[in-house]
Amino acid sequence: MTVPESEQNAHEGLFSFLSRRKFLKAGLVAGGALLGVGGGGLLILRGSAPKVDGLQVLDAHEYQTVKSLVEIMFPRTDAIPIDVESMDLPRAFDEFLMGEPKHNVKDLKKALVLIEFGPLVFDRRVSTFSRLDPEARLDHWKGWATSDSLLRRQVSVAMRKFFNLVFFDREAVWPFIGYPGPSLYRSRSVKQ
Amino acid sequence: MSGAIIDLSKESVPEALSTEVCIVGSGCGGATAARLLAEAGHEVIVLEEGRDLVGPERNQRDSEMYDQLYMDRGGRATSDLSVSVLQGRVLGGGGVINACDVVPAPEPVLAHWAGKYGLEDFAPGRFGSFAEDALDDLSASRIPESLVNSANNKLRVGAEALGYRGEVMMHNRVGCQGLGTCLIGCPVHAKRNPRMVALPKAIAAGARVFTRARAVEIRQPGQEVKEIRVRTLDPLGYHEQGELMLRAKVVIVAANAIASAQLLLRSGIGNLHVGRNLMLQPQLPVIGFFKEEINGFDLVPQSYAVTEFEQEDNQDHGLWGYRIEGIMGTPGIVSTLLPFSGAEAMQEMAQYNRMAASLLLAPDQPSGRVEVGRGGRLIIQYEQRPDHQERLRQAVYNTARIYLAVGATQVVVPTGPPLVIRTTGDAKKAREIAFAPATAPLVSAHQQGTVRMAPSERDGGADPDGKVYGTRDIYVFDSSGFPSSASSHTMTPIIAASRMLTTKLLTRI
Repeated sequence: MTVPESEQNAHEGLFSFLSRRKFLKAGLVAGGALLGVGGGGLLILRGSAPKVDGLQVLDAHEYQTVKSLVEIMFPRTDAIPIDVESMDLPRAFDEFLMGEPKHNVKDLKKALVLIEFGPLVFDRRVSTFSRLDPEARLDHWKGWATSDSLLRRQVSVAMRKFFNLVFFDREAVWPFIGYPGPSLYRSRSVKQ
Repeated sequence: MSGAIIDLSKESVPEALSTEVCIVGSGCGGATAARLLAEAGHEVIVLEEGRDLVGPERNQRDSEMYDQLYMDRGGRATSDLSVSVLQGRVLGGGGVINACDVVPAPEPVLAHWAGKYGLEDFAPGRFGSFAEDALDDLSASRIPESLVNSANNKLRVGAEALGYRGEVMMHNRVGCQGLGTCLIGCPVHAKRNPRMVALPKAIAAGARVFTRARAVEIRQPGQEVKEIRVRTLDPLGYHEQGELMLRAKVVIVAANAIASAQLLLRSGIGNLHVGRNLMLQPQLPVIGFFKEEINGFDLVPQSYAVTEFEQEDNQDHGLWGYRIEGIMGTPGIVSTLLPFSGAEAMQEMAQYNRMAASLLLAPDQPSGRVEVGRGGRLIIQYEQRPDHQERLRQAVYNTARIYLAVGATQVVVPTGPPLVIRTTGDAKKAREIAFAPATAPLVSAHQQGTVRMAPSERDGGADPDGKVYGTRDIYVFDSSGFPSSASSHTMTPIIAASRMLTTKLLTRI
């Protein structure tokens, strides 16, 4: 017997915190700026996003927002010289979302809109998140973690938790952090 | 009758089933009850939302294991995301993913429960034998020195330098190979947890265990025969795929203090106390950085505790104060605790093998509640009280001093903004930690209290036998019933309580 999944029984999770009410409240804070630009203006501001094949949940714009986010979260450095683009974390996120309840996906999509228009909404800059240069984007993103807005802090917590867990679980990173990998598969003597 | 584990994502069972006893949850409380009831000849079905994930399938990888072993794929949290709520979602429950800490309820706490809350069966004289049996179930022993990992040793050496009392912890491992990934499951099954002890015995005695089986509603709570509506899940546990109805005379809810209350509330069962009095015992991580390699990812990740500041006999609360416990984890989960962004975050994580972390554990008083919102969605409301914040500030101060005493170059407190301590003078900055919601990665591994036991229904959601008030033979046998924090680590008290409550139940059925 197949049953329709009910909201009642769907599991909660990291991305289920954005109730519609909270989102609208956050939107009101941004209202002036958004109304000033208008819906058509927002689309112009966002511009087009490159087509991405094979996405299941995210659209091209959302993919672009996530890509812009992980670029600044995990920049190539001397300490960890990894090109995060090679990992395609946005696609891993897309795959993760396939297993999430519909209401979590809806909430997450709202969060991505808020991130993309965050510079305009919160900093009064006529730019989207993806269009900021990396340095400005990182500065802006840091502000989410310490913002007076609980909603922004929640988005920051949720994104950091998910993407850090995935990024540092990748084998390519381990040599640069001194982690020899899962102990079960290491050549090692059992310590007793 | 032959017992078995039946994976409902792959195997079908009749859509209408009957049993004498239905147990919701296969963790410490549920598995213990299942074993004792089945061994006494009763017909038992256990429902577990997780799957039976064993052996090398526990592959020591963060992404897959948090996804498959934890409730909500590792993402369960309070409604404001202030506290990450860790709860097992696998056959064997929390015992599969915990740090194996064996800490029985201290006698002063039990005396407190008997005296203040009228739970006389928990008085040390009466409860002692059940606590002893629980220790036997767990094969409890002191962690051998050879398995104490280097990160925990940093904590120990620093604490000893400052003259603070502490101890190598007790655990429930046998044949531990020091693989270091206890928090995402032991691939060699060294943990003597419900999956390895109580459940095999229950199954040998005839219990049937359904995995990927989510109890969503209990109907007819006042009738002799209750109906339990069960949704079956897909193999990964992401989506529901079927439904069956189970009929049982006795229902034991043992799905942890969050999920047990959620199920009762969703079913409209119980009085106004159900869901209230939630204790999360939130813990704050603090990370010391060292020049030398520590490699804290090996051996037992939580093996030493500073107990200097812990109180077991607080007149108002029972267990109080705080303790500082060493902890380390795999890179993914450790990285989520660090408060930095961009290149700074990469620089800090590059020192992963030079980190020694601690969890600062302070028992709390009831400060939250479980609710079901629109459409039955789970809401975990929790407000960290000022007294809890203050004890954590003191704990941060002392932990920083401990790590600095043993040569840490810096101690990072993952608050927003981050607090970086490099000198003992800096440590005083701990006073400034605000603990605004969603600014510090607080973690809860010991949820308690949402169906508090009490002799009168005016004071609790369940009677001293664990029976939910207003029902006929619906019981709660897990940490939901605890009126105050039982212990710094709840595995042992839950097993002992389930043993006691099941023994009492056996005299009546």
